[in-house]
Amino acid sequence: MSGLRQMWRVACYEWFDALRSRRALVVLLLYLAAAVCNMHWSINLLHKLENELATALQLPQSERTGVVSTTLWKSKPFQRMMQQMTQNDLVLKDITGKHPVELIYAWFAFFYTPLLVVLVAGNRIAEDLGSGAVRYVIFRTSRASWSLGKFVGQTLMIGLALLLSGCGAYAIAKFRLAGSGTPDLFLNMVQWSGRAWIYSIPYLGLAMGLSHFTRSVSKATVMGIIAITACFVLSILIRHFSAETGWRSFLPYLGELLPDGHKMYLWRNAAAPLITGSVYLTTLGFCYLLTGYAFFRKRDV
Amino acid sequence: MEHAIESVDLVKCYGARKALDRLTLCVPRFAMLGLIGPNGAGKTTWMMSVAGFLHLESGTVNLLDGGPFDPSVHAGRITILPQDSELPLEGRPLELLTHYGLLQGLAPQEAARSASAMLEEVHLGDRLNSPIRSLSHGMRKRVMIAQCFIGYPEVVLLDEPLSGLDPREVAHMREFLTRRRGRQTLVISSHNLHDIEVMCDHVAFIENGRTVRVATLEEMVGKASTLVYLLTAEPSDYGTLTMALPDVTFTFDVATSSLACRYNPRHATAEAINGVLLPVLLPQCGVISVMRGASLETEYLKNL
Repeated sequence: MSGLRQMWRVACYEWFDALRSRRALVVLLLYLAAAVCNMHWSINLLHKLENELATALQLPQSERTGVVSTTLWKSKPFQRMMQQMTQNDLVLKDITGKHPVELIYAWFAFFYTPLLVVLVAGNRIAEDLGSGAVRYVIFRTSRASWSLGKFVGQTLMIGLALLLSGCGAYAIAKFRLAGSGTPDLFLNMVQWSGRAWIYSIPYLGLAMGLSHFTRSVSKATVMGIIAITACFVLSILIRHFSAETGWRSFLPYLGELLPDGHKMYLWRNAAAPLITGSVYLTTLGFCYLLTGYAFFRKRDV
Repeated sequence: MEHAIESVDLVKCYGARKALDRLTLCVPRFAMLGLIGPNGAGKTTWMMSVAGFLHLESGTVNLLDGGPFDPSVHAGRITILPQDSELPLEGRPLELLTHYGLLQGLAPQEAARSASAMLEEVHLGDRLNSPIRSLSHGMRKRVMIAQCFIGYPEVVLLDEPLSGLDPREVAHMREFLTRRRGRQTLVISSHNLHDIEVMCDHVAFIENGRTVRVATLEEMVGKASTLVYLLTAEPSDYGTLTMALPDVTFTFDVATSSLACRYNPRHATAEAINGVLLPVLLPQCGVISVMRGASLETEYLKNL
């Protein structure tokens, strides 16, 4: 049987098994609840902002949220605020005019996906190494197929979690925000889930790659949390200290090795940057995983 | 192919300690070999090295004439019951074994059929879809044994297969394993020498990471050269025994009240020895039974 088919069998079983895992299920439900609550609170905030804006403009206050959003979105001060947040004119141009619900969900998904990844998938390999369950598999298939299969299985699991959270957020918006129940918005939310899923791949590679180094579930989780925090801090430092000349001009290249270095591609509308970002992030994910696999290949199990 | 497993001069270190110290062990094809040795002798390490779980410092393993373990060559042809390894707790026996069968290259229907049949064989037909988490230690052990026989592999390595099973299941499992003698190559490690004696046709003694002795069970216990008398008391006059059979060596074991008589099979037969010895023994003590060969335990303790 080809290695690829074996890898796919491991992946399918891993996905199936992960769905049954109590811990993964709890984290998945918590993530869904967080997405729903985030949407609910964001809509409350939006409603408050709209009312204040209506009062300032001496417009009649609306009972439903979203009526003044378009006006708010087009206002110069709000756009300046968004520019500060994105620090990227192209991204700002692409997201201008998008439904606030989409942006609220996108922000949530991109911000919390690394944490979801570490908590759901970060210790799956360490768990099997620690319990010895890996010993029932690796005389039936190669270590590479097993490692890659676990990774693909968890990628599917995270994809499902993001899709569910997108649907949950859409359902809340539909009932709470005026004009939000359109099929177009639903499709856009699914699309953002997909983008966040691509963004999760390097973090999955990082967490699962690190998981090859230890037999302890808790150690693997801690290592994963430290790694994503390090990525986050490094990205900020690189952005802050980058300069046009001197040694600091090399810092952006270092940033290319981190997931955040390619995140903004996924916020664009055009196909070219989206594909470029997806390829970069997927490659990064596989490179991180391979580092862990290179160690696992040589280790005793 | 004479040997299913050829392992030569294996060295495996855990830090400064040598778990395998130039261990050489060859397992004949279709043999059922019992691996015996004290704790830490290297039995588990040897099995794990053969199955490709451990990386050796030196030495060569030739498995089914296909070199050292390589999943692309040996997947589905060799299986192992590893020691101290849990099955995935959320898994169900049938689905787990079917998955393992699929990984070995069986067709989906064949994998499911084989998994179901093996679980029936180990008396788990009523727990096919129970989570592993909910099974008792003994039941889990039986699932672990069953996974070894999915798809009829050529070589099966079993590390302490009968430990943790209740007496009825031990007897059933002994019978289940014995039925495979001569059809598959089995290596069984156990501290229960009676189990090994009942099931195996070859025996290897391992100690301090080295092979002390390897032989067929018949050679090991001296079935062709030893008669063991179970007596009511120790013979009172050994002089009459040695006078009747001058070329025979007599050893009395107080603990088991048995008299071992070792003779040269080229010069005498068991029947001839028995015919001469019984009339000499009976006036001195009662004879409860006569057996060919010593017990494996006696031989093992003698080799230590």
